[in-house]
Amino acid sequence: MTLEDFAPEMDRCSSCSYCKWIPFDQVKSWRFAKNCPSIAYHNFNSYSARGRYAVGRSLLREQSSVSETVKKIAFTCLTCGACDVSCKICRYNLEPLEMVRELKFSLVEQGHELEALRAVRESLAACKNTQQQPTSNRGDWAKDIDVPRIDEQPTPILFHAGCRLSYDKELQQEARTAVQIFQAAGVDVGIRGDQEICCGGRLYSMGYRQEFESCAETNLAVWAKAGVKTVVTSCADGYHAFKRLYPRLGSQVEVLHSVELLDRLIQEGKIKFRSEVPLTVTYHDPCHLGRQGEPFVPWDGVEKKIKEQIVVYEPRRPRYNGAWGIYDPPRRILESIPGLRLIEMERIREYSWCCGAGGGVREAYPQYSRWTASERIAEAKATGAEALVSACPWCERNFKDAVQTQNGGMKIFDIVELVQMAM
Amino acid sequence: MNGHRERLMDIVGEAGITEEPTLGESYSLDRDLLPALKSRFHVRPKHVGQVEEIVRWANETSIPLVPLSSGEPHLRGAAAPSTPESVLVDLSGMKRIRRIDRRNRLALIEPGVTFGELQSELAETGLRMITPLLPKQAKSVLASLLEREPIMSPRFQWNLLEPLRSLEIVWGNGEKFWSGSGFFHLDNEDSWKQGLVPLNGPGPGQLDFYKMVSAAQGSMGIVTMASVKCEVLPEFRKTFLIPAAQLDELIDPMYRLLRFRFGDELFIVNRNCLALMLTREAHQMQSLKETLPAWMMIAGISGGHILAHERVQAREDDMRTIIEQAGLRMLADVPGCSSSELQDVILKPCGEPYWKLRYKGGSQEIFFLTHLERTPAFTSEMNELAIQCRYPPSDLGVYIQPLHQGVYCHCEFMLPFDRQNADERARTESLFREASLRFFKQGAYFSRPYGIWAGMVYNGDARTTIVTQKVKRIFDPNNVMNPGKLCF
Amino acid sequence: MTLSKELYRALEDIVGSDNLSDDPAVLDSYRYSLAHTAIHLGPYFATFTPRGAAVLLPGSAEEVQAIVRLCNKHKIKFKASSTFWSAQGYPSTENTLQLDMRRMDRILEIDEKNMFAVIEPGVIGATLQAEAMKLGLNTHLPGSGCSCSILAGATSYFGSGPSNLYGGWHYDNLLAMEWVMPTGDLFRTGSLGSNCGWFCGEGPGPSMKGIARGFLGAKGAMGVFTKCAIKLFAWPGPENLPVEGTVPAYGVSLPELFRAYTLAFPSWKAWADAAYSIWDTGIGYLAHRQFNMFGRDLKYAMVKILTDPTKTLGDLEQLLQDPEVQKVTDESTRDFQIVLAGMTPRDIEWQDRVLDEILSRTGGWKVEAMNSPEVNPWMLLYLIRLGHKNLNLVFGGSYDGCFGLLGAADLGAANAEEAGAFKKEWEKRGAIVAGGGDCMMGPIGGQGGGGTCLWENFTCFDPYDKFSTDGTLEFFDACTEFGLEKGWGVGMEKWNAQARGPDGKTPPREVRDRIHLSNPQPSAFRYQHRIRETFNPNDLGDAYYETLED
Repeated sequence: MTLEDFAPEMDRCSSCSYCKWIPFDQVKSWRFAKNCPSIAYHNFNSYSARGRYAVGRSLLREQSSVSETVKKIAFTCLTCGACDVSCKICRYNLEPLEMVRELKFSLVEQGHELEALRAVRESLAACKNTQQQPTSNRGDWAKDIDVPRIDEQPTPILFHAGCRLSYDKELQQEARTAVQIFQAAGVDVGIRGDQEICCGGRLYSMGYRQEFESCAETNLAVWAKAGVKTVVTSCADGYHAFKRLYPRLGSQVEVLHSVELLDRLIQEGKIKFRSEVPLTVTYHDPCHLGRQGEPFVPWDGVEKKIKEQIVVYEPRRPRYNGAWGIYDPPRRILESIPGLRLIEMERIREYSWCCGAGGGVREAYPQYSRWTASERIAEAKATGAEALVSACPWCERNFKDAVQTQNGGMKIFDIVELVQMAM
Repeated sequence: MNGHRERLMDIVGEAGITEEPTLGESYSLDRDLLPALKSRFHVRPKHVGQVEEIVRWANETSIPLVPLSSGEPHLRGAAAPSTPESVLVDLSGMKRIRRIDRRNRLALIEPGVTFGELQSELAETGLRMITPLLPKQAKSVLASLLEREPIMSPRFQWNLLEPLRSLEIVWGNGEKFWSGSGFFHLDNEDSWKQGLVPLNGPGPGQLDFYKMVSAAQGSMGIVTMASVKCEVLPEFRKTFLIPAAQLDELIDPMYRLLRFRFGDELFIVNRNCLALMLTREAHQMQSLKETLPAWMMIAGISGGHILAHERVQAREDDMRTIIEQAGLRMLADVPGCSSSELQDVILKPCGEPYWKLRYKGGSQEIFFLTHLERTPAFTSEMNELAIQCRYPPSDLGVYIQPLHQGVYCHCEFMLPFDRQNADERARTESLFREASLRFFKQGAYFSRPYGIWAGMVYNGDARTTIVTQKVKRIFDPNNVMNPGKLCF
Repeated sequence: MTLSKELYRALEDIVGSDNLSDDPAVLDSYRYSLAHTAIHLGPYFATFTPRGAAVLLPGSAEEVQAIVRLCNKHKIKFKASSTFWSAQGYPSTENTLQLDMRRMDRILEIDEKNMFAVIEPGVIGATLQAEAMKLGLNTHLPGSGCSCSILAGATSYFGSGPSNLYGGWHYDNLLAMEWVMPTGDLFRTGSLGSNCGWFCGEGPGPSMKGIARGFLGAKGAMGVFTKCAIKLFAWPGPENLPVEGTVPAYGVSLPELFRAYTLAFPSWKAWADAAYSIWDTGIGYLAHRQFNMFGRDLKYAMVKILTDPTKTLGDLEQLLQDPEVQKVTDESTRDFQIVLAGMTPRDIEWQDRVLDEILSRTGGWKVEAMNSPEVNPWMLLYLIRLGHKNLNLVFGGSYDGCFGLLGAADLGAANAEEAGAFKKEWEKRGAIVAGGGDCMMGPIGGQGGGGTCLWENFTCFDPYDKFSTDGTLEFFDACTEFGLEKGWGVGMEKWNAQARGPDGKTPPREVRDRIHLSNPQPSAFRYQHRIRETFNPNDLGDAYYETLED
């Protein structure tokens, strides 16, 4: 695809500003009604999906050129997809998330990458990770656990740790915990350890199409060779990459997030809880597990019109609007933990507020990233919960960093930690 | 001046002009507070064409015009000229009810139509108008609406000017104009049948013309016709009395009724005000005051058109729940007052003499807009001020009328006094001045700035004053319309 | 024009560098395509509103005043908007400063007892309603939906919507205001000017609120409104709407005190009779002919799509062939939606019975398909929250309305079929969505308590397709001609025709004068000219405020 492919949408955008708000039916307060961190922070219309449609059009028509401001407009998009959900409350022929991705690809391909993101890209090229860390350390998180490495000992199920969990010393334990819980429940799971490479998902959302494809092709080849049937990950970013992006390149592996597998194992009685976890928690739906975690449906078609001027597609085009994301498994897990009480925030499920880490924003705009996380923490605090729980190490890291800059008052957990506490 | 007389005679005919009319009797302090000047002529136009000619003549000659539509008694001084050598333009003879449209619930009336005249005609078509509390017999409906006199049923008042709708106006510059959708006023049967009727108040366009003549005391132009929103004539009614020892007790239940828009006629009076409403003779006042409860909420319920009785019953039951939850009672009768008697009184214009004058022959009003919850404080303070000014608090009448569906209320104090007694007059004036100023400083909103209130209000709001004066120059560039009123 | 360095610095001093931009791409995100839903003009293909000189995000009334004074000093036009939907809020000439009021988005106060709220321009209907509901109150939402600024609808445009009937339209609900006049002077109107609080918009004396707005507001052409108080009304429902369902088919059930119905009638006369009876009896919380905006032929099929999260527009044709869908479609030809809200169980019971009696007398009925468990909760939530108004543009991205037939219910009812038939013929030419001719939407009650109706005939088109856009313009021109022939006056398709021409800018004076002189009462525009001269002497707005010079 190219940015030009979105020219019709640029004109057909309603200019309604629904992309700036959670679905209005779900608005419960003035304080927590917004959905798009980039316009909430920057305020100019350009920083919303409708604004980016207009900026894209302006660039295509050569009415403006790529300034630092234009780059900022494009790259401050977290690609969280909240705008997409809200737009599609009413619209069936717009794809704002895809458009802004294409805008980023387009800028990168024209040589307008951000300096901060170039460092990430170069790290990936050199060390196959986004953390600017040596390849050789990638498997350290698993060095003390007994789990097959699929490159030597294939298993049908692969646990992909991901760059964040592999290298973040504070969070590494969660990867170990996940694998050990699965093993204890009889799951035949393996890992790649220090052979694992980045899923490429983060690069994709930063605007690096080719780099993503390169990661994907490498991973797919390795999995095929190892006979991997199912990939499990605790990282929402990776989950989205494997489930929604890899199939475009031919992937047919089953993709599960850890919460899906945990939920299944709990329901099958293979995980039992023996301890109470007396905690009041609220759950944060990661963007790439929730609204962007819907199943992939292949499509190749064209636009057509019915009833003279109604824009539809031939064949019928699948609709990704967050309806079928992964929302219930993590909630079922939390509700099944003895002593734990779950209170919901106002913005949840498909209209959850982003943690602020995605799209290259954490790397390129740390202040804005932290603000986004702080907003979410404020929302969590407003529920009265003691802890904010997520199912993505990027969310978790961003929340933890933000809490540290405040005067504390909110514990941050990954769901796997609570499961372990209850076992 | 002879030339003027002849010119005016040309316009209205000999029968339509009186030279050097007398001032008429004063019933309030209006002439004590501000000098009353005699007018030079009193003219009685019969149709809008004559009004246009009069206004154009005034522009040519710079002779001020003072419009009035109602008969006596006049209490507020709006129709008392503030400049010498003026001409009273008396529209009370323009008395046609041009049209009543049951389906669209509107009546098209001229300025001289009174409440009694209109209500009886409306009743024949199954309609009624929501009226102020006991308007005088000679009160012009149109003038009452233009003055923004409070109406008794807040639930029908979606904006403060209701039930006023489209107008035919002769501006101070002599131009005839229709506000709202008033240009549909023409008696064109086909248009009317199609649905082209003067239903709208605002506009046309982006300027709200009828607001320019609202509470303007005739200082922007002369209104010669109006369409008025009507309601369905009830088939069935009940009126209830909710007595209380203190005003405070009535505030919260009133808020609840307003929240739900329960009750049609809905207002609060103190015993003095109620006694004024019920008595015919001054000597009855004292014993009635002693018999009546200190405070009373009056709540009417009506049903019409469909399932009228069921509506009244449902409302009654719900309202009784609310009233009883407040520890009060909703009664058909109280000592000194039966609801049937009161209902009869409030649904008609006032008989003679005008009710506020029955006790002592004179009355001064203080009224303003405020929030309902503030009225107890204003009332207490008024009592204290009365004592300080040696005015008997036991004579003070209080009338609290929720407006605009309960967002605020008209809070009115009636100060009956004997105009023939100089001392009483002086004490009443002292109380009036003191209370007006005190309440103004405490946030009482004198939205209808009669007499001395005008100076008080406009001096306190420079921007409104400047804007209003600029607007006046547009519609009445030669300042012929009731000069000296408001901030002009 | 590029802003001079000096002027840029001066503006930066006022709002701060983060809140000012003259980057071309940013400015282009503040241009409106006139091939789109420009609202009551055009559409004009490949035409945009002029690029502003800069866009500013003021944070306070003081900042707005400073900006406006600077504009007066340098004779620069300015235009403010809150949510930027439709062309109204955008510059009409080059070298105009665009004010984006988004940052001024506070709800300053909700007075629960006295039922009003004080808000800034950036407050949208959804958030005000959500906060008001916590206190047992509700706000009227204009027909453009809850994504729009309440203040803007009340002070600067129309403010009419489904809840006019009970809640009053925003003309009724506008109380006091804080207005930065076109000269930069601050005008606090009504009780606010007298330091009495926000509660009353009228007076003292003649109400100067009347120069800010009449039937319509000034559409951003006469200064900037920075705060207003808005009247609220009772909400007998829960503090938070218990919304359920899978996106986008959210719904809410409030069985105790609420009812949502689609009513249909055997004739237009019966339709109008029912409207009058509803007004006469005082039932109803909101009433609107809402879903007919999709078109008489398509509306029920669209409801089926919108209430089923597995369906898309691609399912429309198949649905239209379903006999059940066809049956409901035929049944709903002359319909409207109504929500009853009882303040108490007795109240709702009485209202329900009255409605049944009205239906009995008029021969009308409740469309049972709209009462189904899949549809009814969706319909109720849709109407209460009005959060799906982007559906106006669902088909291809654009719509605008024609005709209007604004007036007594009988006016529209007598002419609806003819207006629909006229459009249906034009649909055959292919430029506009073939919705069945009658695509008319509007309130049952244009003002508090009812009395008028509006019949906006939705014309949906594709802004990306020149054939569609040009064809829509041609159709609208034909509508105007037809409407004039019929004595309906110029319709909604041209309500803003004097504001922008085919180049996206203010049309020449002779064009505007011709439009105004053809009005039944041109002097209204002459007075508006005098108002403009008096209060906007440097003429820093645009032709959205309509004037006629002698």
